[in-house]
Amino acid sequence: MARSGPPVRGMRLGPAGTVACVLKLGRGEFADTDLLVMAIVNRTRDSFYDRGATFDEERALDRVRQVVADGADLVDIGGVKAGPGEVVDAAEELRRTAPFVARVREELPDLVVSVDTWRSEVAREVCAAGADLLNDAWGGHDPELAEVAAEHGAALVCTHTNGAAPRTPPHRPSYADVVASAVRDTVALADRAVGLGVRRESVLIDPAHDFDKNTWHSLELTRRLDELVATGWPVLVSLSNKDFVGETLDLPLGERLAGTLAATAVSAWHGARVFRVHEVAETRQVLDMVASIRGTRDPARAVRGLA
Amino acid sequence: MSDAVRVALCPHPPLLLRELSGAVDAVPALRTACRDAVADLVARHPAAVVVVGAADHPGAIDDGLPIEVRRFGTTGPRTEPGPTLPQSLGIGRRLLDEAGWRGRTSLRAVSWDAGPDELTALADDVLGRPGAALLLLGDGSARRGEKAPGFLDERSFGFDDAVADALASGNPGPLRDLDTGLAAELMVGGRSVLRLLGLLGERLHPTRAALTHREDPFGVSYLVARWDLG
Repeated sequence: MARSGPPVRGMRLGPAGTVACVLKLGRGEFADTDLLVMAIVNRTRDSFYDRGATFDEERALDRVRQVVADGADLVDIGGVKAGPGEVVDAAEELRRTAPFVARVREELPDLVVSVDTWRSEVAREVCAAGADLLNDAWGGHDPELAEVAAEHGAALVCTHTNGAAPRTPPHRPSYADVVASAVRDTVALADRAVGLGVRRESVLIDPAHDFDKNTWHSLELTRRLDELVATGWPVLVSLSNKDFVGETLDLPLGERLAGTLAATAVSAWHGARVFRVHEVAETRQVLDMVASIRGTRDPARAVRGLA
Repeated sequence: MSDAVRVALCPHPPLLLRELSGAVDAVPALRTACRDAVADLVARHPAAVVVVGAADHPGAIDDGLPIEVRRFGTTGPRTEPGPTLPQSLGIGRRLLDEAGWRGRTSLRAVSWDAGPDELTALADDVLGRPGAALLLLGDGSARRGEKAPGFLDERSFGFDDAVADALASGNPGPLRDLDTGLAAELMVGGRSVLRLLGLLGERLHPTRAALTHREDPFGVSYLVARWDLG
């Protein structure tokens, strides 16, 4: 159902006329109007923002506890840096992720746990350890990954990477229409996943800002995010501290929070549902504010002029 | 001889419409006090309830009109253009609805600054209804602090104390003789309603009087009282 402007309260039509009123992410079920914070938890030595801060398992577990306290709805555990860097083979990625998923699952049995991986062999193990969602950040690079999601009843993020190989930075990417490309590829991946048996209400699409895109492309995706929302598939955005924010504002890592939150607010207004972030508390505030402006969340306490 | 006329006095901030404060109730204690007062008002199954509150234009108000909520807030569809209950009477109607009152209800708007003739006529009207109970809507001073709607006027405290004493002791004189000029300066929304209560108390002496709640959490004086007259 094509729609422009801010989403309205109530149900809306999803793909093929289905009613997309609930998002089901493994053990988590979320209403149509919920805006979800997905907190990034990296078990890596070299991820661009946290630079190994939570590589250590205990540190990573502390981070999980903290983000849950800060209002995260789900965590996204990653064992491999997105960009080029230290080689991490499947065995090492598994060592970093599967036992950790099991530990998180044991301590926080109700928390929705996502794992950021493009490898089906990793996906299979982390699902066995209790993962609810597979964040296929490299967009169908391993076609078996969607089959694993179907086998385990896991949810799946279908990402637009324009066919880029995992961990490759963009080099002169160009698009006739970057939004049309993102819509076409993510919808194709989503349809394929459903065809393989992934539940329709458990598939998300992600236009993947900065992945095989320059800053202009990522800005245009943000500006026209409503076109992705109009596909009816729930949209996940991963904006947090990315280069498109840094280049737009000419700011280094560590000074991109305001820009990230601005992009977050615009994306939420356009109808994005899940926000993959480093800064949970700040994101939660922005999403609550946007939801109240939109009219899907009441103010916490309104007394001004009403006494 | 007719039964005593049971009277309840409640303030009428929009916050008594629960949906307007959002996720939490901003006036829980006041809400409880008003609920109890109205429950007491209708407990003996009066023949009717007469509701009096101040408004821009005096007179009888159609009880079928909707309560105005959307004009103040919430997120639903906008109300159709058309007449709605005056704000004070809307609160009265809501309080009666919440008390489960389905009986006959007459709504009367009184001018913010009613003259003696208007008040006398209204008192006659109210007392000419055998077996009716009376729900009055009126606030005290709105100038009780630096965050108050009317900022701070120190005279508010003495003024409201005198009103509270009169309400608590069932003493109609100070209400009947309220300093209307000062009351208007102190943004006492209930100034006509309090004078009406004083007038009624002069005619049918109070046999029971209680001030059951008093607070000013936002610089506006909220007073909840119950009287039985005659």
